[in-house]
Amino acid sequence: MSVLEKVRPRQEPVVRELRVTDEHGRRVRVWELVLRYALLLAVLALTVGPFLWQLSTSLKGPTEDIFGSPPEFLPSHPTLHNYERVADTIPVWDYALNSLKVASASVVTNCVGSALAGYALARLRYRGRGVATLVFVLAMLVPVEGIIIAQFTTMRELGLNNTLIGVVLPGSIGAMNVLLMRNAFRNLPYEIEEAAYVDGANVWQRFWRIALPSVKGTLAVVAIFAFMGAWDDFLWPLIVLSDPDKFTLTIGLNYLHGTFANDERLVAAGTVIAVAPLIALFACLQRYFFRGVGEGAVKG
Amino acid sequence: MRISRRTFAAAAVALVLPLSACGSGGDDGGSTDASGKVEGNITFQTWNLRANFKPYFEGLIADFEKKYPGTRVKWIDQPAEGYADKISADAAGGTLPDVVNVSPDLVAPLAEAGLALDLDKAAGKYRSEYLDGAWASHRIPGLSGTYAFPWYLNTGPLFYNKSLFTKAGLDPSTPPKTYDELFTDALQMAKKTDGKVATLANVPTIEDFGRYGVQLMNKEGTGFAFNDAKGVGLLTKYKELYDAKALDPQALTATPESSGKKFLTEAVAMNPGSALDLGNFKKQAPGLYKNIGITDQITSTGHVNMYVMGVMVNSRTKHTPAAVAFAHFVTDAQNQMSFAEKVAIFPSTAGSLDDPYFTKEDGTDETRVRIAAAKSLKNAVNYTPVLFSEQMKTALRNEVAKALQGKESPKAALDNAVKACDQLLKQQG
Amino acid sequence: MATPTAPSRVRRQLPTSPWLFAAPGLLITGAFVLHPFVSTVVNSFTDRRTLIPGHFVGLANFRELLHDDMFWTGLRNSTLYIVGVVPALVILPLLLALLVQKNIPGITFFRSAFYTPVVASIVVVGLIWVWLLDERGLVNSLLETVGIGRVGFLSDQWLLLLSAMAVTVWKGLGYYMIIYLAALANVPRELHEAAAVDGAGPVRRFLDVTVPAVRPTMVLVAALSSVAAFKVFSEVYLMAGPSGGPAGEDTTLVMLVQRTGTGLTGRVGYASALSVVVFVVTVALMLLVLRADRKEES
Repeated sequence: MSVLEKVRPRQEPVVRELRVTDEHGRRVRVWELVLRYALLLAVLALTVGPFLWQLSTSLKGPTEDIFGSPPEFLPSHPTLHNYERVADTIPVWDYALNSLKVASASVVTNCVGSALAGYALARLRYRGRGVATLVFVLAMLVPVEGIIIAQFTTMRELGLNNTLIGVVLPGSIGAMNVLLMRNAFRNLPYEIEEAAYVDGANVWQRFWRIALPSVKGTLAVVAIFAFMGAWDDFLWPLIVLSDPDKFTLTIGLNYLHGTFANDERLVAAGTVIAVAPLIALFACLQRYFFRGVGEGAVKG
Repeated sequence: MRISRRTFAAAAVALVLPLSACGSGGDDGGSTDASGKVEGNITFQTWNLRANFKPYFEGLIADFEKKYPGTRVKWIDQPAEGYADKISADAAGGTLPDVVNVSPDLVAPLAEAGLALDLDKAAGKYRSEYLDGAWASHRIPGLSGTYAFPWYLNTGPLFYNKSLFTKAGLDPSTPPKTYDELFTDALQMAKKTDGKVATLANVPTIEDFGRYGVQLMNKEGTGFAFNDAKGVGLLTKYKELYDAKALDPQALTATPESSGKKFLTEAVAMNPGSALDLGNFKKQAPGLYKNIGITDQITSTGHVNMYVMGVMVNSRTKHTPAAVAFAHFVTDAQNQMSFAEKVAIFPSTAGSLDDPYFTKEDGTDETRVRIAAAKSLKNAVNYTPVLFSEQMKTALRNEVAKALQGKESPKAALDNAVKACDQLLKQQG
Repeated sequence: MATPTAPSRVRRQLPTSPWLFAAPGLLITGAFVLHPFVSTVVNSFTDRRTLIPGHFVGLANFRELLHDDMFWTGLRNSTLYIVGVVPALVILPLLLALLVQKNIPGITFFRSAFYTPVVASIVVVGLIWVWLLDERGLVNSLLETVGIGRVGFLSDQWLLLLSAMAVTVWKGLGYYMIIYLAALANVPRELHEAAAVDGAGPVRRFLDVTVPAVRPTMVLVAALSSVAAFKVFSEVYLMAGPSGGPAGEDTTLVMLVQRTGTGLTGRVGYASALSVVVFVVTVALMLLVLRADRKEES
């Protein structure tokens, strides 16, 4: 990053294997590269380490010491026994399927609902738009811990208690997601839509054919947030659902915690089951996700 | 009750109180008459029992449906966490199941809101089938009537770690029998181990005050009284233990699980438990299991503490006879007995504790613990007052912590706790 | 959030379609967030409890608040949380973003990996950290191995609060890193080069070029993270327990809302008053941050 480095012609690598360039196509110095990787690895240990430790705990057999000092990082006799016990205790697959249904539905409703509302807030002009925006901003600030029983009463009046629809509905179009979409649409240049308008495209066509494809990345962000939110929620599904056949995974895993609180290995296996699908989903979507960020999706 | 609700309805309209108004209003309840034909579909809710006892409950329900053709029982089970929240939402929303597994502190507010069926009226004839103390545990001060069938009881011995006792120069064959002995041993343990090993892992709770012989409430049940000299004496002693590290330094943030874990990892020398824990020790800490000593719960009143579970009937059920019949069926002597044989709990039905299962030694530790517990249960007491809510527990716990940290004198702390609990009680009633 | 100026032709719409677009979102938000919140506001003037309808009591709940020690403890902790967490979340993710900005081999992997804590649920994160910071957990095992000895992260009032803050920062790093990454992409490279030509070192350039360029983003991060910090619940609840650590000294305001208002004996009226206070402070915070920003800009 020195002046020298900047004036050096690009096509003159000193060490071929280490010819690494930055985002502007300039070569990065070796010592700097080493430093960067060292820092990256340190942060990596901090952010991912705890998950790996949990994974390692869940794979340790009953005879292994999990409290030892110095700690044993790897299980010496890795076993899936703890996962089998989880499956014996609760119908993990049924619950996971319910969670999947709820989370997928939430992804669809959030993507559709927030894209529509976000577009209306960002692109369409009408009286009351300021108020509509304010509604979503205020909704984001409401502390949710205090309103859950009132939500349940509403749900019962709609006759949707004890249904998976009831689980999805309150979070089906998150205020935060609407605002994310609004910002994404606002950052699109007007000229493209203008051209389409001249060509006679109506508002639906402009939304569907032009605006929406340009904010795919933000949609990926919304999808991940929606999936996470629905997959992770515990108290709301617990309150809405009565029927064990409809329970979601987080409720099921709570049985483990309540029944085997002393068994770190089993609880660890439960948390791995809970978190693995999220990480998998993120791994699949991360390409779009980072593009969404590039769109300025989360900019003010 | 009815008039005040109507006044409320008027006030609500005036306030434009949104539709979330309380579910306890209205006269849509079922009848209190349980003498009709036992029929219809009812729902039965248990508390964290499905994971371990699914076949038992499925069998139970099949038996009931066979005995009363025309009935259908739907069983639902809720996880341990959030049970009170779940019941609150159902009660407020009018979706409470017909028959519900409850503990006494959950029954009290439901009964006050008119949601629990008075069983003295609806099922008085069954009363003699249960232990007197157990039946009485679902009476609520200030209300007449009994609001749940007693179900299973639990109590347990005190476990101690023999090798830790030996290391501290204590005789592992004579564990403490009285509070004084307990405190002396605990202080010695702390001294000999330089504060590394604590003897107790939990701060005193309301039931500890009760067992120590403190009068918890006034005679009328209208106010708390645990700030008397005896209560202050107990807390002063605990403060001494805390300062000497004979009470675990982390006790202020301990939960039952965390203190169990501490005993398991031999950081704490004693822990209350139940027969159920023995199996856990055997499996999870075989090394510790060999060193485990078992002694009786310490009590100054001659009565050990017991936990009571109950089964209440929703007063709004559409099928009162079936709901009452099922609640009775679940808790009758035969079914409680077969449940007790599956898990280390104790039946609340009269005479059941004289069954050979609870009296005959077979040389194993499990049986020994079971027999001792069954014997002590005959005159055990559920010390926790029914009206002692979660909020009161937190208030007491926080004041006790302040006393232990030396931020308040034990007397001032208990005075504050009583004041806070009295105020909460007034707001409840 | 300024109003964009759209060209006039796009402005002319069918009169119904904007509302048609916004309707699902408004409906859901209205029915499940704003409507219950309005009832919370109404309840805050009553002495209602979970199962027993209340009466209008005027401002009694708010007066009671002023004399409730727990309220002040909660206000103190929620405020401390802002003080502890917000600076870290404004600065650390920015540094992290600079670290992962360069397209060196494997950087996508690192970016994604740094984001994992954001994806994992807070309950799982809580369980993991309680297990890590346990007296016999990994962190203490390591501390003991290097000779420092075991530390009571989960039993001391202040260490507990600090540990909870650390978890909040840990979980938030990736989230805000991404926001910064987007902002950094828009910093014109020429600015850096000009500064470099003037002989400015990396630190100088960071302060003179990067910081001013991402300042609006820093303000946004500050606003978002202070609102979240003030409403903190899960981290402290999971680590300090439902009663809020030793003597309840780690209770935050939202924990107090939950504790007083839920369960069968919950004081819905009083808890609603607490909720209203939390809401008002949050709105004020948001306005304060935006205002401070505007003042500095002008």
